[in-house]
Amino acid sequence: MDVFEVRGRLDVIAEELASEEEEEEATDEDVFEQGSSDVSTHTQQMKEQLNKRRSKLSQKIVEMENFASNLEEIFITVEENFGRQEQNLEQHYNEVLQTLSQRNEARAAALDEQKNSKLECLYGQLLRCGQTLDASKELIESAQELHRRPDKHGFLQAVMPVMKRVEQFAGEEVDLKLGVSLDFQVLTPDLSEVRQMMESINVLPAPSAPVMNPQIANSATDTSLHVCWSLFSDDTVEFYELYWRLISDDCTMETLQEVSQLKVKETHCTVSSLRPNAQYELWVTATNTTGISPASERAVYMTVPSPPVLKPRQCVSSLNAALIRWDSGNTDPVESYTLEFGETGTDGSGTESIVAIPSCECLLQLQPQKIYILHVRAVNIGGPSDRSEPVHISTTGTFFHLLEDTAHPSLSLSADGLTMFYLDEDLPISHMTFSDNTFNRCVAVLGDLVPVRGQYYWEVEVDEDAEFRVGVAYEDTQRNSHLGGNNTSWCMRHILTPSRHKYEFLHSGWTPDIRITVQPLRIGVFLDYSRGILSFYNAALRQHLYTFSCHFLHYVQPCFALDNPGALTLRTGMTAPAYITP
Amino acid sequence: MNRLTKLFDKSQIVLRNINSELKCHSLYITVNSAMALTQVSSNKCCDGYQKVFEHDSSELKCKMKFAIYLPPKAESSKCPVLYWLSGLTCTEQNFITKAGSQQAASEHGIIIVAPDTSPRGCNIEGEDESWDFGTGAGFYVNATQEPWKTNYRMYSYVTEELPRLINSNFPADPEKMSISGHSMGGHGALICALKNPGKYKSVSAFAPICNPIQCAWGQKAFSGYLGPDKSIWESYDATVLAESYSGPELDILIDQGRDDQFLSASQLLPDNLIAACSKKKIPVVFRLQQGYDHSYYFIFSFINDHIKHHAKYLNA
Repeated sequence: MDVFEVRGRLDVIAEELASEEEEEEATDEDVFEQGSSDVSTHTQQMKEQLNKRRSKLSQKIVEMENFASNLEEIFITVEENFGRQEQNLEQHYNEVLQTLSQRNEARAAALDEQKNSKLECLYGQLLRCGQTLDASKELIESAQELHRRPDKHGFLQAVMPVMKRVEQFAGEEVDLKLGVSLDFQVLTPDLSEVRQMMESINVLPAPSAPVMNPQIANSATDTSLHVCWSLFSDDTVEFYELYWRLISDDCTMETLQEVSQLKVKETHCTVSSLRPNAQYELWVTATNTTGISPASERAVYMTVPSPPVLKPRQCVSSLNAALIRWDSGNTDPVESYTLEFGETGTDGSGTESIVAIPSCECLLQLQPQKIYILHVRAVNIGGPSDRSEPVHISTTGTFFHLLEDTAHPSLSLSADGLTMFYLDEDLPISHMTFSDNTFNRCVAVLGDLVPVRGQYYWEVEVDEDAEFRVGVAYEDTQRNSHLGGNNTSWCMRHILTPSRHKYEFLHSGWTPDIRITVQPLRIGVFLDYSRGILSFYNAALRQHLYTFSCHFLHYVQPCFALDNPGALTLRTGMTAPAYITP
Repeated sequence: MNRLTKLFDKSQIVLRNINSELKCHSLYITVNSAMALTQVSSNKCCDGYQKVFEHDSSELKCKMKFAIYLPPKAESSKCPVLYWLSGLTCTEQNFITKAGSQQAASEHGIIIVAPDTSPRGCNIEGEDESWDFGTGAGFYVNATQEPWKTNYRMYSYVTEELPRLINSNFPADPEKMSISGHSMGGHGALICALKNPGKYKSVSAFAPICNPIQCAWGQKAFSGYLGPDKSIWESYDATVLAESYSGPELDILIDQGRDDQFLSASQLLPDNLIAACSKKKIPVVFRLQQGYDHSYYFIFSFINDHIKHHAKYLNA
């Protein structure tokens, strides 16, 4: 907030208070005009007005306090900024001074050297002068001595060489010039740097590193990011440069991904053409006429994931629950999933959401006898993905499909996953692909149920001469044994002998001795976890055939097997008939 | 003296004729108080009442007792009725004291009527000579031979007189009847159902005599009650009746103890019945129960399954 804004705010508050006063005056007049006819009501009104005014005033006080605290913040910020600038300048000047003193020292040293060399030279000259003086002194003394000699003969003898010497000496030129100049050579130091530094103080500093803002929720899409940053201080900035790079978790990539960049005038930008569910490293620099700021700290943004893909064949439902499964839709993991569902026929107003689902499946509680439409979204820190394609779930009964990945290789399943065929061909063993999950002795396949300990009903239609086993088994029932032959499966078995039909109700290899006179071709299977029963019915006759009483320790899954070539069809989605559920 | 008794008999006959024409139930009772029911005992059991009544039977021409269990539901509304026919040497007491049927009957709201197994106190010569013929061994037939034909009309008693009596004296739903029984009573239940298509909503049996014309018991009883005419014999044989049955679909539940001495003595012959029903597509579930014998312990063990089986149809 700058000063103008502050002043503006104060004006507004003052105006409001003034208008209030006017209002109050007006009401006062009204009161007096009514006269003293009803004193008590007047006092009541006065009290109410007083209260009103009091509350208004207290509101105003609160506003003023807020305003005052705002102002405080501004002052503090200004002080900080000032302090920073001061520091900046001090530093600058210290640098300048340091440079100057360095130059000074260098210069002084140079001059010192010069002085020393000059002095040496001069000293040499002085010595030579001295020598010359001594020599001439000697000559003069000898000439004087000669002059004083009384011996005229000796004097004439000695005078000629002496006179020659004197003439010689006098003929010598005396060098009286100084060997050195008295001027000093002054080096002009390189002060251009200093000048530059001095100049830059008066000019705008280069901006300081901007600050990357954290990613705003729901601002990203699966291919773009909305990136925001802010200035660290009140720098003047001409433009920003935004850099980004894909962060790859892939350890096989040794080189870093290449960096992309974009020039931006505002403090935000949308970056597109990105990969979904990917993390990007972003940083920004600010530039003005003085120069470029250092790079900001790197922020990590994430694009939103691609939508998941629901798997209708793997979804199962019952009267009051459903288990929904989907594929992630993203190669890298996402944080969680959100499931949205509502009844079909409503206009979406009754949509519920389940959030923070950690894995690719979800168990829902639903109302019976309805049809629901469901969507899934994948969520990461960037936000939620688009909705997946919907799947319809019906709660009119038990719905499930045969699980292809548990089927014995000799079984082929129909396209809708509800009929199984054991073909009469002799497939060589080598052509059959077994896995840990497929049955490898019994030609069997499993179904799936909602993992809730409730009641389930489904029907199986068989051919007249099909030798089958139908019932339930634990999910981890031994894949190398026959259904009903172990203690992890319970089933009704039909054996065709030349003379008659035989029926067995197998568990742990044991069956009661039961004869059935009318061959059931549509078998109703009823499972009730709480009562611990598994019942079989001739659904066409509503005839009860047999009931296992068993306490199921784990969840069980429907199981189906064919002991000879034939076909078997599953009928799902119907409510248990009335004669079964009492 | 003789004249008096004859007069008395005559008046009885006249009155009976009048009664048989009258359709009104209350009149039926008031006109001939001798035909009325007298309660012999009543015990509260499983929130309902186990009662025993006595009455003068017109078919059997003697006083007959029957047991009736009234579930709690009978106090407020009409209930369906399950008729239970007991086996050789039994009376109306064995079933109600040994079978443990009251709990299930109470839960499913079903009246259970258990008559005696033969007329009593008729003073017929030879009626007490064997345990498997005569007293306690009525075989649920209408005898055609002397000296049995006057009194030994258990078939009509069970299928006509008793239901009429029950429907007019108790809160019974006349449209909802089922029948069950043990051994000779199993035979009785099967033939009543097979000879009266649509009359019984369901039928079940414990260790029934399935093919009396082929076993010693049946041959002894039929030759005594029905004489030499084999066609009359066949009309009371469940296996033969099944082979020629046509009518509404039945749903028959049969339990048979594997360690039943009479099974191994070829008195029961369930295989024959099963074969006949398989051929005629009459739905039967026959369970051979390991370790069980012919006793009431066997009945007790599986009576709940049977009552549940009947409830499915009676309460539908």
